[in-house]
Amino acid sequence: MEQTIFYILAAVTVIATQFAITERHAVHAIVYLVTSFFSLAVIFYLLGAPLVAVFEVIIYAGAIMVLFLFVIMMLDLGHPEKAARPGGRDWWPAILLGAVTLCSIVVLVAAHPPVVPVGASFGIRDFAFVLFRKYGIAVEIISLQLLFALVGALYLGKRR
Amino acid sequence: MKLYLTLILLLPLLGSIVNVLFGRKLPRRVVEVLACGMVWGAFASTLLLFLEYRAPARVELLSWLAAFDLQAPVSLYLDPLSLVMVLMITFVCGLIHIYSVAYMAGDEGYVRFFFLLNLFVFAMLLLVLAENLPLLYLGWEGVGFCSYALIGFWYRDERNATAGRKAFIVTRIGDVAFAIAVVWMFRMFGSLSITEINGMGVLMPAGAVTIIGLLLLAGAMGKSAQVPLMVWLPDAMAGPTPVSALIHAATMVTAGVYLLMRMFPLVGTSETVLTAIALTGGITAFYGATCALAQSDLKRVLAYSTISQIGYMMLGVGAGAVTAATFHLLVHAFFKALLFLGAGCVIAVMHHEQDICRMGGLRSRMPLTFWTFLAGAACLAGVPLTGGFFSKDAIMLAVLEKGTPLFYGLFLVGLLTALLTAVYTFRMVYLVFGGSGSVSPPLTGGGEGEGVPSRFITPTPTLPRQGGGRLRVMEAILIPLAMFGLCGGVLNLPDYLGQGWLTGWFAALPGPAAYGGRTPHGVDIIVQGVATCVVIAGFLFVHARYGGARREKAIEAAGAPSVVTLFFRAGWRFDDLYRLLFIRPYGLLARFFWERVDEGGIDDSFDRLAKLLGRAGQGLGSWTTGRVSVYLLSMAAGLAMIMGYLAWMVW
Amino acid sequence: MIVPLVHVLVLAAVLFILGLVCVLVWRRNLIMILIGIEIMLNAAMLVFVGGAARWGTADGQVFALMIVAMTSAEVSLALALVVYLHRRKKTVNADEFSEMKG
Repeated sequence: MEQTIFYILAAVTVIATQFAITERHAVHAIVYLVTSFFSLAVIFYLLGAPLVAVFEVIIYAGAIMVLFLFVIMMLDLGHPEKAARPGGRDWWPAILLGAVTLCSIVVLVAAHPPVVPVGASFGIRDFAFVLFRKYGIAVEIISLQLLFALVGALYLGKRR
Repeated sequence: MKLYLTLILLLPLLGSIVNVLFGRKLPRRVVEVLACGMVWGAFASTLLLFLEYRAPARVELLSWLAAFDLQAPVSLYLDPLSLVMVLMITFVCGLIHIYSVAYMAGDEGYVRFFFLLNLFVFAMLLLVLAENLPLLYLGWEGVGFCSYALIGFWYRDERNATAGRKAFIVTRIGDVAFAIAVVWMFRMFGSLSITEINGMGVLMPAGAVTIIGLLLLAGAMGKSAQVPLMVWLPDAMAGPTPVSALIHAATMVTAGVYLLMRMFPLVGTSETVLTAIALTGGITAFYGATCALAQSDLKRVLAYSTISQIGYMMLGVGAGAVTAATFHLLVHAFFKALLFLGAGCVIAVMHHEQDICRMGGLRSRMPLTFWTFLAGAACLAGVPLTGGFFSKDAIMLAVLEKGTPLFYGLFLVGLLTALLTAVYTFRMVYLVFGGSGSVSPPLTGGGEGEGVPSRFITPTPTLPRQGGGRLRVMEAILIPLAMFGLCGGVLNLPDYLGQGWLTGWFAALPGPAAYGGRTPHGVDIIVQGVATCVVIAGFLFVHARYGGARREKAIEAAGAPSVVTLFFRAGWRFDDLYRLLFIRPYGLLARFFWERVDEGGIDDSFDRLAKLLGRAGQGLGSWTTGRVSVYLLSMAAGLAMIMGYLAWMVW
Repeated sequence: MIVPLVHVLVLAAVLFILGLVCVLVWRRNLIMILIGIEIMLNAAMLVFVGGAARWGTADGQVFALMIVAMTSAEVSLALALVVYLHRRKKTVNADEFSEMKG
């Protein structure tokens, strides 16, 4: 049964992403994208990563996309309905390159013989153990990076 | 014997080296004495060698080229032919050296002159004495180079330099044929030694020997100025007169004949080659005589005369009479050198006026020159009892003896040429020395007249009008040459007067019998009688036209030359023919290759390549538009290519 | 694991290509470029999580978390830049900013 859910969610993700990339209006695109992230989060849960799923929703869909919305609305980009829709000239190189790359990746992926996966689900405790013990330094570094980003964004956003 | 041979070769070489290295630092007199002394020293050695000579000998001096099969040491071959040649060369060269000391007395380039003269003597002696073909070729090329340098001695005038170049290039054509023959002979015989090759001639296929003979003939044609490679000799008169006398009368131009005589045992086996040689000689003799008839420049008359006389020598070789040809060669060397040196005296006195139509009356003003010049002219025309008479007659006899229709025809051509020879010789004498001297030479220097196309400005050193020490020296040299020319007949008297000394001496030469006396004496006397009549007829004709008062009229008539005269004067227009056939197409071809291939093709393709690369670079450079969209597409394209390649590999 | 790894990877590939297409189609619009980047990063996260599920270790999930953290930092800076650029030229057309030409 989880298999069926996985495939349905996969379809939802793809379709939502598709709407997102063909939408003129940026805000609409972002909303579609949030939908896609939600279904992706559930897929994560199904794959035995509940913590990542939760963090996906809270941080990614919740903070980052909202930040996008803030900036878009702040920038006051005018009437997006009157903006030029990307025509054929914009689409065909994208489609071509995308198709080629997709086929290549699928071929590469499918070339490997199938294996029997182990499958496991990690709770908070186990995840925390791995995160803070094995990758403790990485955590520190990521927090440093967040600090840099903070300082940088502050500096860049300052009005002269 | 080895010592004498070494001295013969070494002395001139030493002279030239010392002169070229130290000539500027030594006083002028020392340089001149050294140069002359070396040649006379070589002559002395030759005399001693001659007295000691018993039988043909092969003397090896040094080793030169030695690699596997190729053995070409510096080895010299002494046999009657080379010995007489060396005697003649050293003697005549010695005389001319002394003459040129006087002739070039005013010239500043005397060091170069004597260096080249001595080097020439060395090269010529090497050529004559060489026992193997590379050594002969070395001498051959050496004389060619000295000739080029000496013709263009006054190189500051471009015409002289051009004449030198022309000589070099035309003889080069012959040299190439000769070189091919040398290589071919080495391949065929496995040896480069002349004695060995001559001995093996009969063993080889006739066709190859014929072709080698024809190639050698081509080489001789170039060096000896035979038709068709004779165009350089008249122009070579741009050199100083002693050079003309030495190189282009007595020695270098006989080198071709000498080659054929040296290789006679080989080439004589092929009738075709002999016929070709005889034909060449006959045609050239006739050609030279007709052209000499129409010349107005004194030295050019003598140049064409040389061409004609060497034609006689070739005719003799072609008829198989090596002895007769050698005889004529020796006597010709004496009287032609005499004529040239006499012409030098005349030209000097006339302040380098060379047009004979503007000379005259010199008989009374330069008596010594006149009488010696007349002696030389008599030899040239073949006046009975002079050396020239006997030698020319010996050749004609040999031609008659061959008996084939072709040779009968050549005999008639030879007779006709003898008539023409007599005519132009006496014409020359009458125009230069005859008359009353009403055309006086200009008081100041500066000789080439207006309207007379004198091709060359030879800055002859100006001499005082009469005498002066230098002229005396020059004229004094003429005397021994005249003696030898007149009395040269004793070298090889015809059979009915006892066997000629030369014939007897040459009997030892190997190969097809160097022609000795086989004719019945009656035929001999008849031929001599016919020749005498020819000479007298020529003299009478010239006297009728140019003698006395008729002389002025003839000179006036010469002012408006007919078409035929102009044709002969221009050497049958061979220069124009060659220009049309070879030089112009070559020039066009060179221009084509220069403009269309080198500049248009090669340079242009490089230019285009460079421009293409430049444009390619610029085109690539225009990819950096500074716009992110372009960069994004480029990155995605690169990604697609890499992934596609990896997938291709996996598939 | 509920589905074979290949399926997960194929889904991730499709998502990645969709993100790439978004970037390439909207290559003149700065904001849409950033959105495309987000989609691609998510696809990467899916790969990591799928890998963690296949091998039964938590390392993949840890890295997925790090991607989240890094993305947030990157987005904040990127959007600050977009604000800055918009202040300069009053547009988010990426082609307007081509001073690095040549």
